[in-house]
Parts: sequence; structure tokens; C-alpha cells
Amino acid sequence: MTLLLETTGLSVRFSGLTALDGVSFRLDEGQVRAVIGPNGAGKSTLFNAISGYVTPTSGSVLLKGEELTKLSPHEIAEKGIRRTFQNGGLFPELTVLENVLTGLHAQTEGSFLDILLGRAKAIESEAAMIAKARDLLKLMSMDHMADARAGDLSGGQQRIVEIVRTVASDPPVLLLDEPAVGLSPVARAQMMEIIQRLAGEKGVGILLIEHAVELVMAAADRILVMAAGARIAEGTPAEIREDRAVLEAYLGHA
Amino acid sequence: MSNMPTPRQQSLRTVLFWAVPAALLFLPLATNAYTQFIVNGMLISVLVTLGFSLVIGNLGQLAFANTAFFGIGAYASAILSAKLGIPWILTVPLAGAFGALGGFLASVAALRGIRSYYLAIITLAFGELMRWAYLHAKPLTGGTDGMPMPRETMFGISLSDDTLKFYIFLAVTVLLVKGTLNLMRSRFGRAVMAVRENEIATASLAIPTARVILATFAWSGLVVGCAGALFARHVGHVFPESFGMLQLIASFAMVLVGGLGSVLGAVLGAVLLTALPEYLRAFPGMEELFFGLIVAAVLVAMPRGLASLLRRLSPVFTERYYREGA
Ligand SMILES: Nc1ncnc2c1ncn2[C@@H]1O[C@H](COP(=O)(O)OP(=O)(O)O)[C@@H](O)[C@H]1O
Ligand SMILES: [Mg+2]
Repeated sequence: MTLLLETTGLSVRFSGLTALDGVSFRLDEGQVRAVIGPNGAGKSTLFNAISGYVTPTSGSVLLKGEELTKLSPHEIAEKGIRRTFQNGGLFPELTVLENVLTGLHAQTEGSFLDILLGRAKAIESEAAMIAKARDLLKLMSMDHMADARAGDLSGGQQRIVEIVRTVASDPPVLLLDEPAVGLSPVARAQMMEIIQRLAGEKGVGILLIEHAVELVMAAADRILVMAAGARIAEGTPAEIREDRAVLEAYLGHA
Repeated sequence: MSNMPTPRQQSLRTVLFWAVPAALLFLPLATNAYTQFIVNGMLISVLVTLGFSLVIGNLGQLAFANTAFFGIGAYASAILSAKLGIPWILTVPLAGAFGALGGFLASVAALRGIRSYYLAIITLAFGELMRWAYLHAKPLTGGTDGMPMPRETMFGISLSDDTLKFYIFLAVTVLLVKGTLNLMRSRFGRAVMAVRENEIATASLAIPTARVILATFAWSGLVVGCAGALFARHVGHVFPESFGMLQLIASFAMVLVGGLGSVLGAVLGAVLLTALPEYLRAFPGMEELFFGLIVAAVLVAMPRGLASLLRRLSPVFTERYYREGA
């Protein structure tokens, strides 16, 4: 297994509150690792620390051995860690196609001046990206929606477009913050299938926050369990099912 | 569901875009001196509105430094022509550069995390500060007396000739509108919109949001700065009062009436609201009242401006943030 992402002793403190308390884990190529834990456990904070939205108080984040801890969000995204947001991060006034194209920003060639002057370099690259975005939408059977305003889609469709936008640049690592929240049971199952396909077929390493424990048990290769900012257990779904600390801290209440 | 132009409508759009300036080439044959002067002013308003709309509409920043950019461009042009003897036509791109610098300064506030009402206040103060500078830097700007533009000829024709000015203004306007369209229909335009819609999510897509904000302000400043240089030649004499609150409110109304964040809207809003006062001259003493009522009526009937009306009429007028084909 090739190691993609690794955190060591990652901690985040917000004026007195320890939201993340020395969390270490690793994520391999093609692996789906679920992060579970009660509300306020620090799952989103873990994502924010990895993707540069909050500065860790201590600890480090390494992508293929490269230290990312000091970089800003757009630099980390460019290095190949892409994420979604718990509350959804689509641009509602842009079309579905335009949304997916924003995911290809760094791959689109042509300087500001090339674009301004309408030079062939910029126009050709733009056309190639549009073709790629359309292909990706087709793969998810969303191509007929390409010109729809993203804000007009159903909740489930919006979640899928957000995933398409996030994977458009073929990032090695994906962080998905509750991608199935608010979806119908059928759409949830579809989402899990998409996630497993991304890992299985493209070798993407996926970190997945998800509340539905049964879905997680079925979809994840490994599970990281958090409570009050700390890692309380780590293992395969079968191991987590048997873990006493988990049963007490989390599953017991579920 | 989809309100997108077909490839045929796309070609029609290209034809329409070039047909307007092409038809305008013949305008001086069909108009009198007075109308020509008004139309020249319209072209300037188009650029001022376009630059303003880019920042408050597309980028979604409540920044009101637009009049500062306009004044900076006008004074840069006047000072460079009158004091340094630079041919006026060359001061147009230079005024654009000074305007871009103004845009850069205004963006610093936004990049420091000053947003919404606070950004509005800071940028308004920037405009007032510039006006104070025009009043008090008397040796350079002439203070309250303003600055006359020097007499000058181009191609053997005096630059006080409105027909010559019209062709120059038209060329500058078409170039800057086309350049802005190129920018908006690219990854840059999408990034600008993305910042407006969700700045945090934008950064997660490897889009350097700070650079996008800076570049948008700078381009806005450049467009409006160039308009300032045209304005200096248009009126022939630059006064501080031209760059105060009235000018800002008029541009703001043009942006809103045309449609926030729409290039087409900027053109429509500027043309209509520049023409409107001419028709209101029939009602002496009531001009301002009628002007305000008409603007309010348009906004109540069409909160998204005149551009939204055209979009409903035909997908040809739908504005996209990508470019497929030409
Ligand atoms: N930016 C922030 N400032 C202050 N406290 C925060 C911030 N973000 C999260 N927290 C706090 O950190 C804790 C963990 O939150 P979060 O990571 O969102 O939990 P989860 O995603 O597991 O539900 C919560 O107590 C939350 O209130
Ligand atoms: Mg959360």
C-alpha cells in the first residue's frame, strides 16, 4: 500500500477549547477511511486542519512525505488534497458545468494576459477543460443538467455535482465532510457506491465523515473513531464493532 | 430548464456584438453636434459602469472606489498632457495604469478582511480623500479652478472635434468591453463569481482568492481609469466636483438598472440613464424627481435589471462564464 496522507499528533486549540487533541492516522492509496464520532468530536476541525483552513497548534500533515502544515488552503488544494464542505460548497448562481470547471482552475492553461487577449493557448485549454467537465458529468449521468443553475438542483444532485467538481482535477486525496447528509436512503447508497468506485477504480485515498454507522461499516476499509477531539479507536469495521471504548463513547448512544 | 444558447445563437451573438460598433461607425453621418456630444458621454458611462459592476456585481464586494478610479484617470490624463506634454492618446493607457493602481489600493482593504459595510465606508473615504487631494494639490491640479486640457491635434484634426473623439472613444470602449468579456468567459471570470458565491469553497479548488480579488479590482480600476482619460478630453476641463457623490450615485443607478454583474447590463444601463436626462429636459425643475422615479420603477419591475429582460426574450443574451468555440 502506498502511503498518501499522514498526520502526526495534530492538535487544534480554539481559545481554551481543545477541538483536536493529538490525532495521528494514515491514509493509503485506494483506501476509504471513515471518521466517525459524536457531534462536536472534532471531525470537521480535523478536515480544516488538514486542508489549511485552521492552523494546527501542534503536529503535522504530510502528503507523500511532503510537509503541508504551513500552506494556505489553495496551495494545499493544488498539492492534491481536495475537499467538500459539511454545509455544501456549490456556487448556486453558476451552472453545473461552470461549477465543475472551477474544479479545473489550476489545470486550465493561459495567463491573465493570454485570456484577456483571447490567445489560442487559453482558448484551446478552455475547450479541453469544457470537454473534460462534460465527460465527468456524463459519467455520473448528470450531463443533461450541465446548463442548469446549480442552485436549482435537488439536494442529492447538488452533492453529486460537488463531488464531480472536487474530483475533476484527479486529486490523489479527497476529504468528504458528510457528503450523504440530508439525502434519501437511495441517494445515500448511490453516494457510497460513487465513493467506493473512486477509491477502487482511480486509487483515490478518501477520508469520509459520515454519521450513518451502518453505511460506514459497509463502505470503509478502515475507521477512525473520535470523541472530544481525540482518537479513541482505529481499525477495520469488524474491529471497531467489537471495541469497548467505541461502544461506550459512541455506538452505545447511537 | 436550460436557457442556454445553441451554437447558432452563439454565432448570432458574435455577429450582434460586432454589429453594434460597426453600425455606430456611421452615426456621425446621421447626427448633429449636440447628439454626438451626448453619445460620446454614453461611451464613457459604459466603461465607468462596466468597471463598477465588475466589483460590486461579479466579485460581490461592496466597494465604492469607482469614482476615485474615474478621477484618478481623468487627473492623470490632464496632468500628463498639460504638465508633461504627453500626447493625450498616450495618456489613455497611462491613466488606465494609474486607475489599476487605485484598484490595487482599494483591494488591499478587502484583502485585509475589511468587508461589507466597512469596505463600503473605507472605499467611500478613498473617493473623498482623492477629491480632497485634487482640491489641495493646487500646483498640480489647479485646485477648485480645475485643469484645462491643452489644445492638441490628431491626424491634423483638433481634439476638440466631437466626431474624432467619438471614433477614439468607440475604439477604446470596444477594446475594453471585449477584453472584459474575454476575462469573464474564462477561468478568471468563473473564479470572480466563485469568490462572490462562496469564498471559502473557492480556495478549496486551488483558486488563489486573494489574487483573484486583487486582479478584479485592478482591472476595474484600469477600465474606469481609461474612461477618466476619455472624460478629461470629452469635457475639456477637469474639475474636482466631477468626481463626487453625484457621479457615484449616477453610476450606481446605471449598474442596478442594467443588472448587477452583467456586461450587457452595464452597456444598457449606461446608455439609457445617460439619455434619460435629455428627455427629461422637457420638464424643467422636475428632472431629478422623474429620474429617480424612473430608476425606482425599473428596479421594482425588474430587480435584476434590463439585462434580465433581454435574457427572458432570447437565450442569445444569456451570459456564460465559459467559452466554447469562438
Ligand atoms: N472556528 C472555530 N472556533 C471556535 N470553536 C470551533 C471552531 N470550529 C469548531 N469549533 C469547536 O470545536 C469543536 C469540534 O467541532 P467540529 O470539528 O465541527 O466537530 P464535528 O465535525 O465532529 O461535529 C466544537 O466544540 C466546535 O464548537
Ligand atoms: Mg462536522
